[in-house]
Parts: sequence; structure tokens; C-alpha cells
Amino acid sequence: MRQRETGSKLWNILTGGLAIFLVWGWMIGIAWSDNSLCLSCHKDESLSKEDARGKKISLFVQEVGFKNSVHGKLSCSDCHIRIKDDKHAEGGLKATDKKVNCGVCHGKAEKEYFQGLHSKLIMKGTERAASCHDCHGKHDILPSKNPKSKTHVSNVDKTCNRCHADAVFVKEHALGPPLPKEEFRESVHGRTGEITCTNCHGSHNLRSLIDPQSQIFRSNIPQTCGGCHPEITKQFVESVHGVLAARGRSDSPTCTTCHGFHGIKAKVDPDSPVHERRIAMTTCPQCHAAERISQEYRITTVPVKSYYDSFHGLSYRGGDTFSANCASCHGVHDIRPSSDPKSMIHKDNLQKTCGNCHPGASENFAKGKIHLVASIKGEEFGEKVVGWVKIVYIFLIVAVIGGLTFFNFTDWLRKTIDRAH
Amino acid sequence: MTKKYLRMTLNERLQHLNLAVNFTLLVITGFALSYSTAFWVTPITDLPMGMTFRGFLHRLCGVATVFLGGYHLLYLAFTPRGRGIVKDMIPKLKDAQDLWETLKNNLFINRPAKEIKMPRFNFREKLEYLGLIWGTIVMTVTGFILWFKTEWLQFFPMWTWDVARTIHFYEAVLATLTIIVWHFYSVIFNPDTYPMSWAWITGYLTEHEMKEEHGLELEKIKAQERGELKELPEEATIRRKKIYAIPREKMEGERRKPVTVGGFYGIVQRFNESIKNWKGT
Repeated sequence: MRQRETGSKLWNILTGGLAIFLVWGWMIGIAWSDNSLCLSCHKDESLSKEDARGKKISLFVQEVGFKNSVHGKLSCSDCHIRIKDDKHAEGGLKATDKKVNCGVCHGKAEKEYFQGLHSKLIMKGTERAASCHDCHGKHDILPSKNPKSKTHVSNVDKTCNRCHADAVFVKEHALGPPLPKEEFRESVHGRTGEITCTNCHGSHNLRSLIDPQSQIFRSNIPQTCGGCHPEITKQFVESVHGVLAARGRSDSPTCTTCHGFHGIKAKVDPDSPVHERRIAMTTCPQCHAAERISQEYRITTVPVKSYYDSFHGLSYRGGDTFSANCASCHGVHDIRPSSDPKSMIHKDNLQKTCGNCHPGASENFAKGKIHLVASIKGEEFGEKVVGWVKIVYIFLIVAVIGGLTFFNFTDWLRKTIDRAH
Repeated sequence: MTKKYLRMTLNERLQHLNLAVNFTLLVITGFALSYSTAFWVTPITDLPMGMTFRGFLHRLCGVATVFLGGYHLLYLAFTPRGRGIVKDMIPKLKDAQDLWETLKNNLFINRPAKEIKMPRFNFREKLEYLGLIWGTIVMTVTGFILWFKTEWLQFFPMWTWDVARTIHFYEAVLATLTIIVWHFYSVIFNPDTYPMSWAWITGYLTEHEMKEEHGLELEKIKAQERGELKELPEEATIRRKKIYAIPREKMEGERRKPVTVGGFYGIVQRFNESIKNWKGT
């Protein structure tokens, strides 16, 4: 009995100890899981430390923000697994790595990120290249479907613009001119509210412009745009421009050459480079009337010049949008050389092409040179005739008007002299 | 009050005004295409559909000018005054001599200056009038080729259209400059007529103007007034340089009454009555 009593006493002690341990553990657990232990200090807004360079770093954590974040159920130590700091070291491990490593849970994203441009720049020592928290935030991370999230489709451009529209940042990192903040937002893509920076540039695996695997590498652009505009890309890759661009001709246009990139506008917008008033003024001539390109590839600038002197061109320059511009005859995305039987300007298709605007255009209508240059040394008979007519008329005008002016001048002089006397 | 001499009848003045307005509009709307980026075209290009309107107006004025030309031809053919104009407008050797002597006068080669008496239409006016006819024909033909290109290009190669376009442009330059240099000198900047010859508004020339520009005509008119020059009826015929006058009574008997609206109505009425009274054969 006594033994039994002793046993029960031990049992009681064990049970009681266990209960106390459990309660204690439970309390600790509560203390950790609601992070009250950490927040007891870090809820102080003025809490800060100085880094090695003497720069002040705030250590304040906003409790509400964290609670509402996607990680709100996690404890601080889930991410801050090691904190190298004398103050924290009193209670536990003194670690070497003080940075939060998101990759522990988000392995796939980390793997992508390591292939991307930002991580490579960090490895090269660029301090302000974006890491996870620069885009996703720190304690207040929200799921990207939440409209308040920094990575929600409506906020991505703002998130990127924090650095890429910052004139000082852009200058320090030699990124060229800063992007005007509203440029993308006002573009036809920005206005949809469904397309944002990451759609073209990629997100975690965002790559450099010169990286051949990049979505925005020159020869990948048609595929990138084709993600949403598949029919147009299909037309473009078979066109004369698309074929050359695919072969790496850096001067051959791709989508962005004509449409622009961040500030792409709808074609009905007068500011759009592909607006009908601008196609024949700037869009095509930017290459087809360009000195360097025309010399390099031995393409001639004659079509642009002769177009400007033609009825179509003259009327177009005066703002007539019914008058044919380059695209009216040559096509838009599917421009093909005249030797291609599918080309709008192939000799078998010309009658139809002209007939688009000139109903009743005969077979004979479509014959003959359109980009005609009046010159007595011209290639064709017609060009020579027009050249001669021009010369004869200029001679006639100079002779007739010169003669008349001379005669009238003597007449006026004589009458004036007679009056003076 | 000095005597005034009729130069242009109301009909002729209206024709002139019509041509002046149409010509000016044609010049503006035409060169607005050739120099469509020039500053003075902005009132047209700033309009919505401005260039389309420009083209329409140009064609409209072109058609109006063609109709005016047609009317003018009828006027010349079917009015006595018109036939007189044609007769007086024929270029003669004297016109070349007048031009030459005027030039010699102007250059002080003739000392003292020779007095030149010029006919009803002097060499300046003949040159300009014939030039106008030539220009109108050229512009009409090339203009219609440019307008009806689909029809034209059914039969002719493309380069003929380009030739027509080139001619249309350079002929326009020539015509415009001629009007500015030649016509505006004659009627505005000529020190004898400055600031303007009023004949296109009032229809009359002063005696001074007549003496300066049409001395021969003035003498003829004065001789007529004195009764020295026999006025022949217009139907007088000239054969082998001999003039045969037709007796006035005979002529008036034969002359057909001009067809007026009233006269035409009479014809219709008589025709109607004869149908009504027709009793069959």
C-alpha cells in the first residue's frame, strides 16, 4: 500500500510536471505563434539600429499589416531563422546569415529568380537590384490576387516604377533615360488593366534585353507579342520583315520598331506611330528613307521620294486619309516582296490592290510604274518622257515669263522716266 | 465729263468675273495639292476632310470654267458683237510690228519715241487672249484625263497619265505667272492705268486710255461719228476683196426673226393648233 502510495506520488509528480511542462510549452507556443514576444519590442516605431556604415535602419514591424498578410499565420522565426545579433543571441543561436531566405518555402520561384537579371546583378555587387522583398514587400506581403498587393496586376507598374522611373536610380545604374511614369499606364495595354510589365518582361526570371533567352530579346519579340496577338504574329513571321528579323538582321523591323514598346497606342490614336496620318510620314520612312540603312542594304529611298511627289503622297501630306499610304498597297503585317505570289503588289494581284480604292480598275490600270521618277535618264520610257516634258515646260516657263517680265519692265521704266520729265 | 468708250458689255463683264473667280479658286485649290505642306495651305488641311473638299472644289471650278468656255464660244458665234470680237482678235503682222516698235520705244532705240496706234485689241490683249484659249484647252484635256483615270487607263499606259499630270502642273504655273506678270501689269501696274483699269467693273474706258492703248480704234470711232466711215450692215459680204452691200429692205425681209421664249411658245402653239385642226389625209 505504502509502495503503491509512493508510486502514486511519483505518478502525481510526473503528471503534475507534465501538466506544468505542457502549460509552459503551450504558453511558449502561444507566445511564439502570435509573435507577441518579438512584437513586444518591434512594435515600437522608433526601434532602429545602425548598420556597419552608420546608416539608420528601422526595425519597426507593423503588427496589423503582418497579421493581414499572406504570411500572417506564420511566426517570425519561420522566416527569421537566424539572427546574428548580440541582443537576440542571449536567448539562442548566434547565426551567420541574417537575411531572410524565401527560397526555403518558395523553391521554384527562387530557382527562376536565380536565372533572372536582378539576381545576377546582385551577385555582381549591384546593391539596389531587386530581391524578393523589393517587389513583394516584407512583412505585409499580400497574395498577388489581392488588389492591394504590390504584385497585383494593377500595381506592378508602380512597383517597377519605384526604381525604373526614378531619375536618380536610372542614372546611377546606367539604364538610359527614366521611363515616364504614366507612359505605360496610358498605353493601350496599360488601359486594359490586364496587361502589365511582367507580361512581356517576365517576373522572377526577368532577363536582360541582350539575353537571347529573354522574352524581349529582338528576335523573340514577335513570339512575346504573339502570346496575345497570335494571328498577327503568324502574318508577320512570313513577311519580308519577319523573315529577316528571324535571321538576326538587327535593322529589320520587329513589332516594336513600328508600334513602340512601353507607350504603345491604339492605331486610331493620333499619337500612335502607326496612326494612318503617320505611316507614310515617319513609320516606314524611318528605315526606307534612312541614309545608313539604305546604303547598307542597298535598298533605295526612291519609293518614299516618289510617293511624296505623287498624287497619293501630296494629298496624304495635306492630311487626306482617303489617299493611299504605304500600307494601302503593300499591306501591314504581311508585307511581302513583289516577287512573292502572295504579295499585294505581285503583278497578278495588283489589279485587285488598285481596285480596293479605284473600283473598275482595268488590267491595264495596274500596269506601269507607280513609283515613277521623272528623269530624262530614267529607266523606263515613261520616266524619260515625263522628264523631257518637265524640261521643255521649265524652259518654256523661263522663256515666256522671262520675256514678258522683261518687256513689262522696259515698259514700266519708260513710262516712269517719261513721267519724271 | 470726258467721253467714255464702251469696252465690255455687262455680259462680257460677268464672263470676266466668272472666269476671275473660277481661275483664282482653281489656282488656290490646285497648288494646295502640289504644295500641301506649305503654310498657306493650313486653312485647308486643318479642316476635317479638307483635302477631299479641296479636290471637289477644284473639279467643280474646272467644270464651271469649261462651261464658261462653252458659253463664250456660243457668245462669239451667235452674237454680232461676238463675231466682231473674233474678227478683231485675229493676230496680224501689225501686232508684231507694234510689239517691236514698243520695245524699241521703251529701250530708247526709237528717238524720238514713235507714236503707235493700236487697234481695238492690241498685241498685249491678243497675246493674252490666245494664251488663255490655249491654256484652257490644255488644262481641260489634261484635267479630264487626271479626273477620269480609270477610263483613261483602260486604253493608255500609266505613263501617259503621268505626262498629263506633269503638263497640268507646269501649264498651271505658266498660266498663273502669266496672269500675274502680264495681265496684272496691263490692268494694274501699268503707270497709265494704275491703280486699276475700271473697265472690268464699269465697262468703259476713258478717252485717254483709248488713245494710249487703242489709238487706231479711237480714230475709227471718231471717223464713224463724223460720218466719214460708212457703216455697213453686218450681212454685207466680202468676196475677192470687194464689198457688196445688200439693200436694207431686202435684208430685213429675209432676216429670220430671232427665236425668243415668246417666239418659241408661238411655234409650239401653232404646231398644237395644226395638230388639232388636222383632218387626216
